[in-house]
Amino acid sequence: MGNTQMFKQIVCGLTLILLGQIGNAETVGGANDLATLDQETQSLKNAVLELNKELFLLEEELLYPANTQVAVFVSMDVGEYFALDSIQLEVDGKEVSNYLYTEREVGALHRGGVQQLYLGNLKVGEHELVAIFTGKGPHERDYKRGATLQFSKNIGSKFVELIISDQENQLQPEFVVRNWE
Amino acid sequence: MLCKSFASKLAGAAAAVLSLFLTLPLHAAEADGFVVEDLHYGEVLFRFYQEDYFSALTHLAAYRELDRVSHHEAEAELLQGGLMLSWGQHEQAGRIFERLLAESKDPSIRNRTWFYLGKVRYQRGYADAAERAFESISAPLPEELDAERYNLLARIYLDQGRYADAAQLLTDWDGETVWATYARFNLGVALVRMGELDAGAVLLDKVGTLDAAGADREELLGLRDRANVALGFAYLQSDLDGEAKPVLQRVRLNGPFSNKALLGVGWADTANSEYQKALTPWLELSGRELLDSAVQESLLAVPYAFAQLDAEPLAAQHYARALEIFSAQIERLDIALSDAGDGHLINALLSDDDLSMGGWYWQLDSLPDDDRARYLYFTIADHRFHEGLKSYRDLIALNAHLDEWRGKLQAYTDMLDTRVMAYDERLPAMQERVARFNLAGMQESYEVLQAHSIAARSDHDMVSLASAEEQGQWARLVAMENSPAWNSAAAADMREKQRVLKGLLKWNMEREFRVRAWRQDRSIEELGREIAEVQGQFASLEAATGSIPATVQHFDSRIALLKPRIAMMQGQLQLAMTIHEDYLQRLAERELNEQKERLLTYRAQARFALASIFDRMSASSE
Repeated sequence: MGNTQMFKQIVCGLTLILLGQIGNAETVGGANDLATLDQETQSLKNAVLELNKELFLLEEELLYPANTQVAVFVSMDVGEYFALDSIQLEVDGKEVSNYLYTEREVGALHRGGVQQLYLGNLKVGEHELVAIFTGKGPHERDYKRGATLQFSKNIGSKFVELIISDQENQLQPEFVVRNWE
Repeated sequence: MLCKSFASKLAGAAAAVLSLFLTLPLHAAEADGFVVEDLHYGEVLFRFYQEDYFSALTHLAAYRELDRVSHHEAEAELLQGGLMLSWGQHEQAGRIFERLLAESKDPSIRNRTWFYLGKVRYQRGYADAAERAFESISAPLPEELDAERYNLLARIYLDQGRYADAAQLLTDWDGETVWATYARFNLGVALVRMGELDAGAVLLDKVGTLDAAGADREELLGLRDRANVALGFAYLQSDLDGEAKPVLQRVRLNGPFSNKALLGVGWADTANSEYQKALTPWLELSGRELLDSAVQESLLAVPYAFAQLDAEPLAAQHYARALEIFSAQIERLDIALSDAGDGHLINALLSDDDLSMGGWYWQLDSLPDDDRARYLYFTIADHRFHEGLKSYRDLIALNAHLDEWRGKLQAYTDMLDTRVMAYDERLPAMQERVARFNLAGMQESYEVLQAHSIAARSDHDMVSLASAEEQGQWARLVAMENSPAWNSAAAADMREKQRVLKGLLKWNMEREFRVRAWRQDRSIEELGREIAEVQGQFASLEAATGSIPATVQHFDSRIALLKPRIAMMQGQLQLAMTIHEDYLQRLAERELNEQKERLLTYRAQARFALASIFDRMSASSE
């Protein structure tokens, strides 16, 4: 019965494999080269992160100097009455952004994230911003609304926030443009 | 796969909990009418919520430097720690959490920070320090965090062989979460491995008979199957075959553990010499995916059962089939091994992957549709391989990101060069135009006008403010008085008319004097303002043109410093990628070799068994 013995051995081997505890994925012990690799990788990633920050700062200073910089942000406060699909943005009658949102981005807005929709340059003086919001309104109906802001651009960065919120008393969405000083 | 399932559970839960942890202050505040006080802080959150940790970290660091998140400084530190943890930067995350603990007095922040610090320490392999961190938590955490804390503590006890502590912890822990089930399973397995079958069986049986429901149903069902397979095989190993069968039969037939269960059920049947019964699960098993070792073993188990039933021809036929299959598999493994040696296999694993900068909880969701890569099915379940692959993937993504920056910096250099060229070209023409514009002359005329206006007002000089027509009439009337015939008698009428006209004209000019004086003052003032504005524009123009070379030089020198840093960093990344590739290659080769060794053993066993069958058949025919 050599075969029986052989198969019993297999069973024992399998048992040891099957009896491996779950959760080894979290332990590091015993894998020295992995730990070393991990440590080196962390240090390298940190260095790249620092470099990336400097590159990011350089790019912004070069392309969007503080004196002319204008940034438009989008935020959502509750947003139960409006499912955002896209925002079209015009500055002084010229379209500067036409952004189509993914489910993931809308989710991030719902959770309190603020999206930087547009970053550009404008000269000092009076300007007009028009934002057109497209999506689904109450009762799954197609919904399109606009919001306008006349604003003064002075020396220094200018930030504008487009806020999508709910008008509880009218069960309708509301679109507000806020001028940040 | 099993480890992967756990890692996946851990990943999902950890990411969700981390997110909950970091957003709690925000949501709590939202209820009280909280608004984001710094838009850029919200912008970082927007990236974080999309698990874009690298850019979230970059932006957060940049915004902090630009002082754009000053209203959220305390949360920003916590967010940075969480982002670091999510991006696999455990050491940095640990340092941040430690700093926060030293600075924060808020108990809710402190308890959560202790939890994360404990988790970081555990992940880094510092079990004692992790235990101390968990024990420092002074108040209950949110349910999910508490469950994870208990599970991690149980893991620490089990890793250190403190089974009594682990058992006590499980007894004290009244939570019925997935984490508790994992901990129970792990303790059951640990006890069985220690030879405490009875004690271990109680825990495994509890997991194996749990009523799976709710959002975690699928996961609990998988865990239930796994507990039943583990317990069933533990019974088989202890020759408790009768106990094993009902336990193994509790495993779902379509679940990922069904192969092992079917194999075990067959073995439990053979223990009672019920070979006919054993054939039912084994024949079912032998038609399944050949990668699974249970399926491979069934190829030997089926002919073994036939042989026991004295059906030698059928046994021989199935042994021959097994030989054929094993040989084909060995051949394929040889090709996979050769590919692994060339590095093709590792890259094939990531061929379908979106190489965006992932989080630490990234998982390889599916194997590429590649005949050879599928042999790495079990390799990717290995913790070390998966962690290495994750780092390798991050390095590739970072390198590609720096490639993009290299291209951009070149474009910016070109842009600055063009700016300088345009400046050099346009400056002389502009300077000429500026020179043609006699600003000093304008200023002088303005001053003369101003003096004239003042004098006219103080001298009550009506004529100087009169219209051109009136001034002409006045001049003609005055000129008459200088005529030689003016005083003659014949000119008496003329004198009278001149007197009347002069009086009339004077009266008119007198009447208009105030209005004219006011208008003139206003015009002069406006002129003064315009001249000042032009002067200002000239000054700005001069300053702007003057600063262009300095600005360009400033950016040029920054770019000049960054370019070699990118090159150096990319060199380091390439080196690290090679090391990772080599490491992963070795792990893959080891796994493939193990698979090959197993198949070689099975093939040898099949050959031996087939020869024995032929011997028996020829002996019986003689």
